[in-house]
Amino acid sequence: MSEGNGGGSAAGTNVSSDTAGNGAGARGLARLNLVGAIRHGDIVGSILLTMAVMAIIVVAFGGNPWTVARTIISNSLGQEIFLGQTIMTAAILTLTGLAAAIPFTARLWNIGGEGQMFAGAVVAVTLGIMLPEGTSHGLFVLILIAGAASGGAVWGSVPGLLKAYFGINEIVTSLMLNFLAFFAANYVVTVAWPEIYAQLQSREIHDNARFPDFWASAKVDVSVFVALATAVAAWLLITRTSLGFSIRSIGANPRAARLAGVRTRLVTVSSFATAGAAGGLAGAVTVGGIHHDLALDLWISNYGYVGIAVALLARLNPMAVLPAAFIFSTLRVGSNSLQAAAGISSSFGEVLIATFVIMLMVTGAIKFRYAQH
Amino acid sequence: MTEVVLITLFGSGLALMVPVLLAALGEAISEQAGVLNVGIEGTMLFGAAICALVGVNTGNVPLALLAGTATGIAAGIVLSVLYVRRGTDQIVTGLLFNIFALGVTGILTAQVIIGNTAPTLSPWTVPLLGRIPKLREVLNEQNFLFWISLILAVVIFYVLRRTWWGLYARAAGERPHASSSAGLDVWRLRYTAVIAGNALAGLGGAALVMSTSGRFIPGFTSGRGFIALGVVVVARWNPLWVVGVAGLFGLSQALHFVSGLIDFFDPVPDQFWLALPYLVTVAAVAVSRGSRYPAAVGIPWREPAAEARG
Repeated sequence: MSEGNGGGSAAGTNVSSDTAGNGAGARGLARLNLVGAIRHGDIVGSILLTMAVMAIIVVAFGGNPWTVARTIISNSLGQEIFLGQTIMTAAILTLTGLAAAIPFTARLWNIGGEGQMFAGAVVAVTLGIMLPEGTSHGLFVLILIAGAASGGAVWGSVPGLLKAYFGINEIVTSLMLNFLAFFAANYVVTVAWPEIYAQLQSREIHDNARFPDFWASAKVDVSVFVALATAVAAWLLITRTSLGFSIRSIGANPRAARLAGVRTRLVTVSSFATAGAAGGLAGAVTVGGIHHDLALDLWISNYGYVGIAVALLARLNPMAVLPAAFIFSTLRVGSNSLQAAAGISSSFGEVLIATFVIMLMVTGAIKFRYAQH
Repeated sequence: MTEVVLITLFGSGLALMVPVLLAALGEAISEQAGVLNVGIEGTMLFGAAICALVGVNTGNVPLALLAGTATGIAAGIVLSVLYVRRGTDQIVTGLLFNIFALGVTGILTAQVIIGNTAPTLSPWTVPLLGRIPKLREVLNEQNFLFWISLILAVVIFYVLRRTWWGLYARAAGERPHASSSAGLDVWRLRYTAVIAGNALAGLGGAALVMSTSGRFIPGFTSGRGFIALGVVVVARWNPLWVVGVAGLFGLSQALHFVSGLIDFFDPVPDQFWLALPYLVTVAAVAVSRGSRYPAAVGIPWREPAAEARG
């Protein structure tokens, strides 16, 4: 969160929106930039406002705000096994956060992180079951990761292609593709490889396809390194490559970028495909790392949508996505045991995250600037 | 045989159209005034959950529908303060509002509603049309919300396209700066449009509960608000066209119910039919390329003087 974007040094902090469904920024040029230095007062104000709203909700549902707060902290960081869960969830949220942050930088609204994660998970579970059991461990895991990333990239590039070549608004298409990916996953777990002993989940993948443990007692595996490496790669992509420069220039001023020779269509499709690959990796983590199967209740975790909140908290900076994902993961995992400890449903985690980011916008800690008409 | 299929298709298709139609009408109002309300899915969820809650506890269907609409109004007030007064980014705020709504309605379901079932609306026999053979079997299946939603479509068409308020609201959605210079209160127009739009979305959510099982489950609306966003684009913000496009969506969803009646469809997996409405939405949005959002949609508006002060 400390990654500033002052003084023009900041890469990847420009977002803008072209809500016109027509062409890459030709009409309805609604550009916006994420602007302003971070004022600590705004952040403190957002935290206080969030706490106030949360306290009201907790009391309304008959809970005790203090118990809720204590439960969230102790059940996300307090024990080795909870900490492990928090770290693994942070890995997923980092990847879905990057799936939002990269296209947002080019003022493209990828709301499809959820579907890209499912596409990756479908490919991962298919490979993990179909490939011969004797494939060597390292190779199998690498194939799983590469396959999930490619699956997510292909799925993710669909709204990019529709946007680039037909001028179709990417918000609606990327949202709809989430549902299509979910039903594809539904097909996999109910028809293709159903688990006989449990409903709505697939068979387990082969042992050799499972991600090796890295901190076994906390059930943390190499997914963490997948997330770290992807965040570093995304940061290098945005700040150190010509594609990243094009992405940022489109975000800053699409028209100027096009006049300067940036190939808008290619960049649109590439940023969606890159985002899709990150989302697909989130799917690989859930299948290869955490569950070793594909369960449909992944859908109610809303990792794709929470990823958008992560990207905003990180102010679209790929490296800042890591701490942002960890913070939100703490709130998510800590809320899992609220039902038993404080009598509040675990959905509280999402409420908390959404309220906090809304408050960051209300106080102006996250601020967008728009081109006026 | 064919007749049974067609009657089932249109009977359930028209019933499934109603929640999407109401939500899409609401979205059309708010987008015409320049506010893209992505939070419509969340408002529908809130409307549905509160409607189920009131229905379960009072057993009074009209009261439950009113409660759903009132919830929509409350959501509209909150959202209009964010979108209009505070000028937060509409797309991001809307998405976060959806997550918020999913969470709060999830808590409500787990702790208050707990799988209880509310009474639902019964079909209403139409006076004149209800006597025409064939048509009768489709129309008499519909409850009175179907007719209300059709009337609302006509009323909203009239208000948006034939009244001064409608003209002003559309001006605020196209050229807020010019509208303000001409003496219009852009904020006030947008407040009204967002609140009215969310009231309809809340009613849409309530209609979903009251026309189906009367039971609310987390994530009950399953993307219907998002589909409404697509419907509005395809219908080019014309409330009368919205009826047709929402109807197309309803039919595509109803195909699931008739697929079992037709042998030809046997090899098609169930998931295909479930996914079809979303596929239809993508395809419909894709073919309506020329459709253009109102110019100022998505951009918060401030008085130039306020902008200069920062």
